[in-house]
Amino acid sequence: MAALVGKNGNPGQCLSGRRLLLADGCEWSIMSALSRITPVLRGSINPGASSAVVKRYNSNKVYGPLADEDRIFTNLYGRHDWRLKGAMNRGDWYKTKEIIIKGVDWILGEIKSSGLRGRGGAGFPTGMKWSFMNKPSDGRPKYLVVNADEGEPGTCKDREIMRHDPHKLVEGCLVAGVAMGARAAYIYIRGEFYNEASNMQVAINEAYKAGFLGKNACDSGYDFDVFMHRGAGAYICGEETALIESLEGKQGKPRLKPPFPADVGVFGCPTTVANVETVAVAPTICRRGGPWFAGLGRTRNSGTKLFNISGHVNNPCTVEEEMSVPLRELIERHAGGVTGGWENLLGVIPGGSSTPIIPRNVCEEAVMDFDGLVACQTSLGTAAVIVMNKQTDVVKAIARLIEFYKHESCGQCTPCREGVGWMFKIMNRFVKGDAQPEEIDALWEVSKQIEGHTICALGDGAAWPVQGLIRHFRPVLEERMATFAATKKAVAN
Amino acid sequence: MVTTTTTTTAPEKIEVFIDDQPVMVEPGTTVLQAAAQAGVEIPRFCYHERLSVAGNCRMCLVEVEKSVKPVAACAMPVMKGWRVKTNSDMTRKAREGVMEFLLINHPLDCPICDQGGECDLQDQSMTFGTDRSRFLDQKRAVEDKNIGPLIKTIMTRCIHCTRCVRFGSEVAGVEDLGTTGRGSDMQIGTYVEKMFTSELSGNVIDLCPVGALTSKPYAFTARPWEIRRTDSVDVMDAVGSNIVVNHRTGEVLRILPKTNEEINEEWLSDKSRFACDGLKRQRLVQPMVKGTDGELQPCQWEDALVVAAKALKAANGSVAAIIGGLADGESLMALKDMVNQLGGEDLCTEEVLADAGTGTDLRSSYLLNTTIAGVEEADLVVFVGTNPRFEAPLFNARVRKAWLYNELDAAMIGPDVNLTYDCEHLGNDSAVIGQLLDGTHPFCQRLSAAKRPMIVVGSTVYSQPDLLAQLMQLAQKVRSGCEEGGEWRVLNILQRQASQVAALDLGYTPGVAAIRENPPKVLFLLGADEGTISRDDLPKDTLVIYQGHHGDVGANMADVVLPGAAYTEKPGTYVNMEGRAQQAVQALTPPGQARHDWKIIRALSEIVDVQLPYDNLKELRTRMEQVAPNLTRYGHVEEANYFAQATTLAKLVSDKGTGSVIDVPQKQLADFYMTNAITRASPTMAKCIVAVKKEAANKFVDPK
Amino acid sequence: MATYFGLDKFVKLFRILRNHGGIRASLYQLYRVDDLKDGVLVGEDVHGNKYYENPNLTLGRNRWVIYSPSVGTDYDGSMIPAEWFGWMHHKTDLPPTEIAPTAYAWQSGHEENTTGTDRAFMPYTTTKPKIEAWVPPKKL
Repeated sequence: MAALVGKNGNPGQCLSGRRLLLADGCEWSIMSALSRITPVLRGSINPGASSAVVKRYNSNKVYGPLADEDRIFTNLYGRHDWRLKGAMNRGDWYKTKEIIIKGVDWILGEIKSSGLRGRGGAGFPTGMKWSFMNKPSDGRPKYLVVNADEGEPGTCKDREIMRHDPHKLVEGCLVAGVAMGARAAYIYIRGEFYNEASNMQVAINEAYKAGFLGKNACDSGYDFDVFMHRGAGAYICGEETALIESLEGKQGKPRLKPPFPADVGVFGCPTTVANVETVAVAPTICRRGGPWFAGLGRTRNSGTKLFNISGHVNNPCTVEEEMSVPLRELIERHAGGVTGGWENLLGVIPGGSSTPIIPRNVCEEAVMDFDGLVACQTSLGTAAVIVMNKQTDVVKAIARLIEFYKHESCGQCTPCREGVGWMFKIMNRFVKGDAQPEEIDALWEVSKQIEGHTICALGDGAAWPVQGLIRHFRPVLEERMATFAATKKAVAN
Repeated sequence: MVTTTTTTTAPEKIEVFIDDQPVMVEPGTTVLQAAAQAGVEIPRFCYHERLSVAGNCRMCLVEVEKSVKPVAACAMPVMKGWRVKTNSDMTRKAREGVMEFLLINHPLDCPICDQGGECDLQDQSMTFGTDRSRFLDQKRAVEDKNIGPLIKTIMTRCIHCTRCVRFGSEVAGVEDLGTTGRGSDMQIGTYVEKMFTSELSGNVIDLCPVGALTSKPYAFTARPWEIRRTDSVDVMDAVGSNIVVNHRTGEVLRILPKTNEEINEEWLSDKSRFACDGLKRQRLVQPMVKGTDGELQPCQWEDALVVAAKALKAANGSVAAIIGGLADGESLMALKDMVNQLGGEDLCTEEVLADAGTGTDLRSSYLLNTTIAGVEEADLVVFVGTNPRFEAPLFNARVRKAWLYNELDAAMIGPDVNLTYDCEHLGNDSAVIGQLLDGTHPFCQRLSAAKRPMIVVGSTVYSQPDLLAQLMQLAQKVRSGCEEGGEWRVLNILQRQASQVAALDLGYTPGVAAIRENPPKVLFLLGADEGTISRDDLPKDTLVIYQGHHGDVGANMADVVLPGAAYTEKPGTYVNMEGRAQQAVQALTPPGQARHDWKIIRALSEIVDVQLPYDNLKELRTRMEQVAPNLTRYGHVEEANYFAQATTLAKLVSDKGTGSVIDVPQKQLADFYMTNAITRASPTMAKCIVAVKKEAANKFVDPK
Repeated sequence: MATYFGLDKFVKLFRILRNHGGIRASLYQLYRVDDLKDGVLVGEDVHGNKYYENPNLTLGRNRWVIYSPSVGTDYDGSMIPAEWFGWMHHKTDLPPTEIAPTAYAWQSGHEENTTGTDRAFMPYTTTKPKIEAWVPPKKL
């Protein structure tokens, strides 16, 4: 995949590790010194660069840019010490004991009032999800499982946290674990994240050594353990029940729900699976209070969020930004704008590879939060913004995404196993144009036959990019078919 | 699936609506089961009521009102007030979509597929699929796998329902099958090439909803619509599995299981299923008499009967009979009447049974008293000198089911054999029984703590009366501590031969010791092929009459051979190990000049001038009823309850058996396949043995 | 005159009787073939079958064969050898007595239909028997 660019250590690098081809041979390797300038810095250099965009969005309130004092991930770019000492300097592990002692209800209350929604893609209200665990115990231990199997093409937020701010996550595990009465947390980390896994392990060891974890964690009387488990590189293991299966040592195939993990999860015990970012922001929310978090972003979409901007932008980056920031402002303020200017924009995949693509005219209005993107018939997902300018072969790009999903389908249930492979075969022909225009409708129907009929959401994730493509780029497909047919005819004559 | 007997307060039923039709169901019922209660069948591939729910075929998707997505009916428990629509647009569209997906990679080889005509995919695509295709690309192809001589795999046809995988790991207890690869590259297989080494492997053929797993011996033999089906009873072991004999133009093509919840559920052991080709080989098709040159010569019925009759008359009462494991109740009755009228008293069965003081007068000393289905209520089972996995595979499957779902514990006195479930091995020393009896063995605590224990005694103990006597006392001792006191039956005898219980009910003596001590002038063998008595045991002038259906050990030593009928060729009564009389139904006519066994005996009796007083089956069964009333109460288990008396009598036993090591005859899978005349004549069983032995040398396979 | 009184019929009868060798032989002939016909002996084949012709009779009845007395009543149409077959069936009017048929080296002798005899052709089964019978092993 193309490289949505970058050398190791660059903030804007796309970390998915799976190469996403945007256009033929378009290796996006324009690496300027600019990319080393942090988005924050640039934000301050060009204040109000995209105020026009904000105005076009019919709201009085302006969301973004995020003020420095509201940042949660203060070492996102690794310019400071990520170890315990540095983390404590930045405020981690500060009065964690007091948070724990305030108790389950208080923590849950803060999380609920913060309006935090799951950062893994589905956006389920976190406070509610954690409170499912607070049923009277039947003797089984409860577990928190942290989903650090970040494999979605375009997404690279959890990696930054684990690499540069691991103590946020370790502390988050403790706070979240306390909130749900969990005995231990398992961090299921993606196998390819070798350095991140070792940083995490160092952080966990430091926390144990400092008495923050283990028996009587933080001197609060609460016993809590954190374990790391490295995955083996299957995208599907990022699905919560498949992750549980994998954690148990089985094939990573999603389970049927019900029973939900909150009833029968890992090792048959009540379990909550939460995204790294969700867990990592919990301590800060508890320290600064739910209302502070709720004050950022629109109602029901509150808080800050890590956005990963990759693709055809001048400065691909991962940046913490307020929710509900307009897409255009996000790109122009932090990523240095679309390569070749906004007018050169073809489309944006706003939430990681599984969300439908939106064309430029929709991007103008799009607001980066859950509800704002649903209104655009797409989804916030993991807030991994993949920008494609007009040099992109959009059909080929989507075909490449489908190949990814075909490769990563677990093969358990029929629509995904058979349907995604079929879509891939059709898309491959579409790339050349070797198809009839009627097949576009057939492809649409196939994607609809997959969507919602599978055990897990991978089928949906594979169907949506295709639907986005057909919804917005149907003329491109038709034109290509016409060209192909004409060429074929010419050759035949 | 699992019967739970302890119903405290019956949970309140909830009302759901299937296609607007209200149904009251238990909480926790799945949509599919609720629909079945309402009489609506939801299509399915992966769901099977005796296996765990996989929910991966997605064929059973149905619309539930107020649900955005269709739900998988097989896995989703109904909630109160749900309105399920099994025929709405959304449901139909979902099914059509799944059907299309299943078919895009399924080969269009129905005309050459053995499943054709009984294929779930075929039927459901006719009912729920579209009538045209829009798949323009290449289909997937998968390499076939060799998983033994019984199951033929055509893996391209596989729709990945994983029924076979689940059967292997749940019912058979053999984790040989699994899935490898993912996405469209997913395959069902054994990973390394190896055999599906299970005694129940044939059931995956029935389970497979498509033609991916078909029967190797039956390949390309017949179409289901050409076949005539006759419900009957299996005789390969004493379980009495219900079978459907599939036959066409006078030959058995295959044997399928017939559902009987109390016996075999819907499974069948490989021996019962695949040994049917033995019915076509080594058959006795005409009477034979030994000529002056000492060779058996074919002859007419009259000649053979006259020769036999002359000898019987001349014997002047010195007549004895031995019956084999496949004899039916009718012929047993007729033979007993004839021999008794001729003055003979020694009517023996080949299979021995220890005489623990009670003889065979008390039925409780030779039955599986708990019944096969009763195992599911037990909480502890102790096997003594038996390997139920091979002696009664379907009984063993029940034990495994109870072990898996009802937390049954198992223990074993005898060799350490693999029973497919965890089984505590108490050693093979017969002294263990004594220790259990006097309470010095550590296992005693668990035995006495058990609420519903079972002691299952196998064939090896039969030759050691003192051990059986000890076991009886042990069982009685344990029984007094049982939950239900007198109601629960602890002692169980695991019979191996289909004819044994009926023979004992009719008054035959187990074992041939009497004949060895007192050799008769005429010995009548009714299908006795195990060689318990050889020519060397008899005086030179003894005339041996063999009546049976296969030329095996018995016919080899006979002077007169009378061709009888095999179990598929005669109406017969068989009593299984739990004492349940069942009727085998005639599917075919006996080959050549072979005749029904009881008719042969009846004809012979007329020539010997002791004409038996019955001319047809009905009269014969009336006679059977006079002797043993339970023999004609078909389908019913006649219980036996004289445990206390048996134990009292058992205390009188003094004769010690030989040897103190408890062993079982069938330890390995290779020992399982050939145990009677039919299986010894079966080429398929021979292939199985070869394959299993070869498998033992497979270095990639874990020795089990 | 003789015709008027039907005396020619008697003449004919006597001729027929004479040709058949007297009353006794004629009665045997009547018993054997249910017919007494007036005709000219055209020839006799190697088997002793005699061929007659009476052109006055209607076509189809004007040529006939009296089989060799050696076969008695057990005669069959297939006893007519090939060389006489053509004349008998009006394929030719020239009997082999007039034009002897060419004798080829490859010709075999005439053989009558063996159906119903011990030598009759019986097709044998090519399918395996459904039931394989036990053959007692030979001792010694």
